[in-house]
Amino acid sequence: MSLQPAQSDSQPDSTDAGSNGSSQARAIAHKRERYSSALGQLLPIGCILNTPEQLKPYESDGLTVFKKSPLLVVLPETIEQIQAVIKWASSEMVPVVARGAGTGLSGGALPHEDGILLGLAKFNQILELNVEKGFARVQPGVRNLAISDAARSHGLYYAPDPSSQIACTIGGNVAENSGGVHCLKYGLTVHNVLAVTVVTIDGELLQIGSNALDSAGYDLLALLNGSEGMLAVVVEVIVKLLPTPPCAKLVMAAFNSVEDAGNAVGQVIAAGIIPAGLELMDKPAMQAAEAFAQCGYPVDSAALLLCELDGLEEEVSAQIDGVTTVFKSCNVSELRVAESEEERLLLWKGRKSAFPAVGRLAPDYYCIDGTIPRGQLPYVLRRMEQLSAEYQLPIANVFHAGDGNLHPLILFDANVPGETQRTEELGSRILLLCVEVGGTVTGEHGVGVEKINEMCVQFDEASLQQFHAIKVAFDPDSLLNPGKAVPTLQRCAEFGAMHVHRGELPFPELERF
Amino acid sequence: MQNQDQTDELVAQVNQAIETKTAINITGGGSKAFLGRSQDAQVLNTSAHVGVVNYEPTELVVTVRTGTPMGELNELLRQNGQALPFEPPVLETGTIGGVLACGLSGPARPFAGSARDYVLGMRVINGQGQALRFGGEVMKNVAGYDAARLHVGAFGSLGVLLETSMKVLPLPEAQVTLKHELSKPNDNTALVKMMRQPLPLSAAAIINRSQYIRLSGSDSAVRAAAKTCGGEVVPEGEAFWQSIREINHSFFNDNRPLWRLSVPEFCPAISIDGSTESDWLLDWAGAQRFLKTDADAASIYAAAASVAGHATCYSANRVAGNASLFQPLEGAMMSLQARLRDSFDAHRLFNPGRFHPELDNN
Repeated sequence: MSLQPAQSDSQPDSTDAGSNGSSQARAIAHKRERYSSALGQLLPIGCILNTPEQLKPYESDGLTVFKKSPLLVVLPETIEQIQAVIKWASSEMVPVVARGAGTGLSGGALPHEDGILLGLAKFNQILELNVEKGFARVQPGVRNLAISDAARSHGLYYAPDPSSQIACTIGGNVAENSGGVHCLKYGLTVHNVLAVTVVTIDGELLQIGSNALDSAGYDLLALLNGSEGMLAVVVEVIVKLLPTPPCAKLVMAAFNSVEDAGNAVGQVIAAGIIPAGLELMDKPAMQAAEAFAQCGYPVDSAALLLCELDGLEEEVSAQIDGVTTVFKSCNVSELRVAESEEERLLLWKGRKSAFPAVGRLAPDYYCIDGTIPRGQLPYVLRRMEQLSAEYQLPIANVFHAGDGNLHPLILFDANVPGETQRTEELGSRILLLCVEVGGTVTGEHGVGVEKINEMCVQFDEASLQQFHAIKVAFDPDSLLNPGKAVPTLQRCAEFGAMHVHRGELPFPELERF
Repeated sequence: MQNQDQTDELVAQVNQAIETKTAINITGGGSKAFLGRSQDAQVLNTSAHVGVVNYEPTELVVTVRTGTPMGELNELLRQNGQALPFEPPVLETGTIGGVLACGLSGPARPFAGSARDYVLGMRVINGQGQALRFGGEVMKNVAGYDAARLHVGAFGSLGVLLETSMKVLPLPEAQVTLKHELSKPNDNTALVKMMRQPLPLSAAAIINRSQYIRLSGSDSAVRAAAKTCGGEVVPEGEAFWQSIREINHSFFNDNRPLWRLSVPEFCPAISIDGSTESDWLLDWAGAQRFLKTDADAASIYAAAASVAGHATCYSANRVAGNASLFQPLEGAMMSLQARLRDSFDAHRLFNPGRFHPELDNN
């Protein structure tokens, strides 16, 4: 992981080329002009952004420590225009990075300094909301929550609910295979998308999937989900709409140790209950959330579980009996079932605002996204405590406990010399810890540019080569979001030489700051 | 359950085949010869590569070698109060590898998800003789392309499946199957409506004028939902669903070729030359339709395509000639899939001609 671009990637900033780059700056300006005029033939007036002020907002996605200016931003309005732009890029060998709302947390939509950024924000229409047939056909720039909002009055909703759902778009959700609080029971984006229409690098329009439950040939739909915009550009999505559960209840359980809370999660599942959501916060996260949202969390306890159960009223009341019995047998220190809808939403509010709440504790915070086998939670938390002490950086933990997805938040101050670098190293150590216990470096935020080094540890050379071969099958000249998600073997060799292998640091006896 | 790791032997056999440029027929329990054309090629048998690699019930994940018999795996999960919710068919001698390679899911599929939905990770041998690992043993994992799920339903044409990690779930506390008589044969409009209701449905099928639904969940919820739905309780409900899953219900007892049409559940009755109402069985609330017919393949593919679906022949040995047994791929989609196949198996050694022949002749 790196909060600063690695050496091999560093490029002069194209909008501010600095003292030694004036000829380079001229070359860039020339290219920008040439591309603008070529694309001007393909797009209506106002669909091309190319001045520094216009490009500025597109320099980064939700991971703002990485910034790069694209040569220009195009904002097409029709699928034909997207096809024309991609055909042009393909013939001119210009890299294309697609972008939705730019809420991604791994730099997946970080622009390419030699390419164009393809903004899909204008594709924000729900094309068809079919209540009888249970699906919505939407453009890629439609916000995740807008789908559920439109379907709600018909008793339907779209299940995946990433915490950025107010802002993030469905096209980005497909690119990252987004999850959310409810994915243990209702699945990820890949489980809830029926079809996508994509533009390939040749500018061809392909529909992948349909309203049938499977398609002829290979399951390209599974492959496209989570492919981080590197295989094709998604221009339309058909999502499944589910009936809204008539009843949802929330149980809050506090524990005097994180181990007890972790054990309680395993016991709930052993009792045959799959909650709709099962979230764990440690003391720092809970205290920050309470200070932010005043939701009545028992801040003296060591860990808090929020357990949501949904379904038919009969099902929910049977499950509430089940989980409260389990919690009581697991040393619960405080147990509360939200009595009203207001109380349920208030208890959720704390959890949902945990990131900004923790953000108030320090000038900067850095959100990590690893997944571990749930049983490893106590060990991983203990190791994280040690690492936190070693790096002298506090960590608050929020955890999708049901499915093992950890979000440690490292608190730091970028203005303190060296602290950003320490944060970056600590983040990397945490991800490698996840791999060491049999987990993964990213549960739902994607690899992007952020975790590209850690990919070298999680995958062997042959598997990475196979990923590159898949990319070539779709995009032989590597023009779609090049350089993201899958590291080159050369990069892994450099990373392996300087860093770690399989979680083992070279010279483990040395202190590392 | 037996426990034997044959990875090295299987890798060696693949490498031998690469060296001699010999095509390989991958087989496990040999239960799915009815799907795809079998080729004259050297057999690579996975049935000795068996056993559970890792199973911790509270993690809701099981990792098994692909030669593990499906029936034994189901039994192990059942003993722990769990199951693979997509209800994989056993087909007597079938293996989990075969189920995944063929992408088969049982009656619960529209409600619980498909075989690919439950795959978390996969180890495979690719066409370069390398044992690769994709995905993992955790529920959420977006590191790298989802090459694990890509192998599900690829009929072995992308590699030899070695090991798979799958999500498992608790068995429901209660189930009930209800039967309704329909006034119009094969009319699934009531089922499509039910799909939009918050009911604990776990299966829905129609045979002629009989509509069957299954409800699963807590005892109290199943009781309440059964009251809402009405109908006659089928005492041998599980046996009925099993007979659909295992393709041995009396409906399937016929000399004509059997075809499976995968279509949007809401599409109206499909007309195919010479077929009558009693030739159809609707599963998956109408999204999977079985048809017994002598009609030629081309007309079946055309009918499926006209409703945005696709067809697969389930009687490989009964359809003569060169007709593809899978809905033919065309144009840019075909070329893309052919390139994808070659990215895994450049020499086209794995199961050539078994899946879409156009991918091999391209």
